[in-house]
Amino acid sequence: MALELKSSDNKIFEVEELVAVQSETIKSLVEDGCADNVIPLPNVDSKTLELVLDWCKNHVDMKLDEEKLKEYEDKFIEVDQAVLYDLLLAANYLNIKDLLNRACQKVADMLKGKTPEQIRETLNIVNDFSPEEEEEIRKENLWAFEE
Amino acid sequence: MEDGYYIGRRWEDLDTDILVKIFQSFDILELTSGIAHVCSAWRMACCDPLLWKTLDLSMMKSNFIKIPLEPYVYVDGRSDKILTRLLKISMSLSRGNITTLIFHFNLFVSDEQLTYTAERCPQLRRLVLPAWNRIKKTGICKAIRAWKDLESLTMPGIANPPYLMEEISKNCKNFRELKIMGPCDKFFASTLATFLPTLKVLSLRCSMLYKEALIIVLDSLPHLEVLNISHCLLIEVLPPPGPKKVVSEIDQSIIEKASRLREFLTCMNDSCTMCQRTKIDEGLMRWYRYEEGLWKADEKQNKMLLNKYKWQPSLWSCVAKDILPQVGLVLTHD
Repeated sequence: MALELKSSDNKIFEVEELVAVQSETIKSLVEDGCADNVIPLPNVDSKTLELVLDWCKNHVDMKLDEEKLKEYEDKFIEVDQAVLYDLLLAANYLNIKDLLNRACQKVADMLKGKTPEQIRETLNIVNDFSPEEEEEIRKENLWAFEE
Repeated sequence: MEDGYYIGRRWEDLDTDILVKIFQSFDILELTSGIAHVCSAWRMACCDPLLWKTLDLSMMKSNFIKIPLEPYVYVDGRSDKILTRLLKISMSLSRGNITTLIFHFNLFVSDEQLTYTAERCPQLRRLVLPAWNRIKKTGICKAIRAWKDLESLTMPGIANPPYLMEEISKNCKNFRELKIMGPCDKFFASTLATFLPTLKVLSLRCSMLYKEALIIVLDSLPHLEVLNISHCLLIEVLPPPGPKKVVSEIDQSIIEKASRLREFLTCMNDSCTMCQRTKIDEGLMRWYRYEEGLWKADEKQNKMLLNKYKWQPSLWSCVAKDILPQVGLVLTHD
């Protein structure tokens, strides 16, 4: 049984139901009988959807081979920041638990051991604390209870 | 809707749910080392209650030495300051949502640190605080008064328990579970009977336990459902000039008394590693000698099969033998 998924940039992907329902979101649609036509996924572009579907397909194919699957997952998640970001959003939106967990783990590993400044630099984040908030945080970081 | 494709990904705008999920894999040291200082959105995610149900500090030990005078430990200043800072950040991010607080048995919290923390964990239900060397009576009482919802306490043995038990009984109406990591004598047991008659769960595992104390516990805690005396060094005080005697098996009278309990967890076996260790350590377990994290285990958590089972003295030796090994327990005399 095949399903048709449409990415935000209007590309159609034909996928086996077994593969697609790794996404709890799509699974619900199928169970509710709403999957007869093309399923639009306005939050996922074709590049990301292709990756996601590759993940899902391999998880069906390699279900019984833990070692092979782990090897695949480790290789899969070696992506640049932008792709990782898109994968996070897609996995969250499509509710694919193992992909979301793996992607979150990858980000966590990226962040561990870094100072706030280093994190901001790596991820291009702006420090948007007000001077008052900064002062509170500074006090919090002191090694004594009295200010 | 903007023209053109939006290239940049704004990591500060990542869904809070996703951020929280990422932060859930951090331990407390990682969580308080600066993640909350990256930007205001990330700080908000760091304050999510999901991250703060349990504050587990059991990977942190004080840098200390033993000294021959009270409080018998001296904690290095820097080690203390690191803990203070960690507590300050944790209290700030947790926003009063902590319900379980766990300290390592070699983390010697000061009075000030305890009070500071207690005031900021008003919803605390479970506390594991095995080291009270630097805590004064006033300090612990003040803390207890801050914890109206306290249900469970793991503490060391203390020489003079009444002040504490009274404070708990006055203040913690839902208190039901106590674990003592230290000796339990007749005085301690009577204090429990006087002030905490509604106690439901008591664990004295791996400690020195006086037989008379055990009898008081079994006779005078009418609401007790679970009693764990696994690997205890059971001591009987014989009438003078008799010495103290180590009891090697639980006699029938105790078994009968314990038959009303939902679970009576025992292990008194010469070939059991834990029993041997308690003996070697003379009833005051030197946890630092053993496997990391071993001190946290407690048999009463293996209670699935025993829930519906009612101990009957006559069934002790036949049915019990079948069930107990499945849940990792050993009969006292086999």
